[in-house]
Amino acid sequence: MKWKAVRNLRLCTKDCLCLYVCPVGATDTEDSIIDVDKCTGCGDCAAACPSKAISMIPAEMPLPQEKKDEVLTGMRALLEAKSRERLLASALSEEGPDGKRRLMRALEKSFRLSGEDIAREAGFMLPQQEESLNLLESILDNPPQGFPEDSARAILSSFRKGDR
Amino acid sequence: MKYICSICGFVYDEEKEGVPFSELPSDRVCPACGAEKAMSDPVKENMPQSSVAEDISSDNSHDMEKLSSGALSLLFSNLARGCEKQYRPHEQKMYQEIADFFSAEAKKEKAEGDLVSLVNDNLAGVYKTAEASATAAGDRGALRARLWSYKVEMIARTLLSRYEKEGEKMLENTSVWVCSVCGFVYIGDSAPALCPVCKVPSWKFEKVE
Repeated sequence: MKWKAVRNLRLCTKDCLCLYVCPVGATDTEDSIIDVDKCTGCGDCAAACPSKAISMIPAEMPLPQEKKDEVLTGMRALLEAKSRERLLASALSEEGPDGKRRLMRALEKSFRLSGEDIAREAGFMLPQQEESLNLLESILDNPPQGFPEDSARAILSSFRKGDR
Repeated sequence: MKYICSICGFVYDEEKEGVPFSELPSDRVCPACGAEKAMSDPVKENMPQSSVAEDISSDNSHDMEKLSSGALSLLFSNLARGCEKQYRPHEQKMYQEIADFFSAEAKKEKAEGDLVSLVNDNLAGVYKTAEASATAAGDRGALRARLWSYKVEMIARTLLSRYEKEGEKMLENTSVWVCSVCGFVYIGDSAPALCPVCKVPSWKFEKVE
């Protein structure tokens, strides 16, 4: 498996040992984000970092486990349910006294987070997986008015370049 | 006798507390997570696993074109988060743009209905069928996501019914917190040390202004 290094800036204490060990200078960037085009995946920086701020992630994500149709049906019904709750809480957060607005804003966020988590288990775990890209393509076949088509195409070409 | 909260696992020990659980007021909530009294169950030795509904809907169609704008918005904002975690900021931005488009589409239709009854219907309906199909398939990922969502939903129901009873007093001079990982909602002056549902530390909580 091929790997690439990523840095967690929350943990980075700027000891800069990665800078000294990297054979290609991939960690020497202005914004502290490791340059994925330069990184060869050797792992020296991760091993050298005293703060354990660098980890190696797969250059190509392994495919998620396959899902049974019944599970997809159940989770997608749940996804729709979370969506309705979220939209209703969102509408309610725009009216009434301060406490109610805060509660409804919290619930909107809560329902959204649950819904996103459910979406992962409804067959759309990774942004580069086939199901996600096929969905974008099927929307592009007959896009609703105002749909950001250029962005959808850019995602497709970015992930379909064999970089799955 | 001991009683355990089915949301967070907090144990009420009648012997230590000196008050039988049944004599606690009906509006008593779990001191750890805020779940209502009825969510705590007596602790029995060798508690049998509760059996899950065996009936699974025979309708297996899951045509993605049938997903609503609101559902698509959640689906794509999650893919944006996936890009963020893989350090792909450009793709993240584009997926988020698509999510925002569908969110705006969904908000064009007026959201109608009563949130409390919607939550109740979902708890009695889709949560049960999703659990049955995921259990039958042995899908641990789906079971985990369903369980967290269910626990968070039970808390949401409790908070909604408390607000119906107590009104604005419930939220005066205190704060509303949301766990940024699982969506657990907490009312209090400061966030809990650990999320009762997904167990992340307090700094993962966001205060709702």
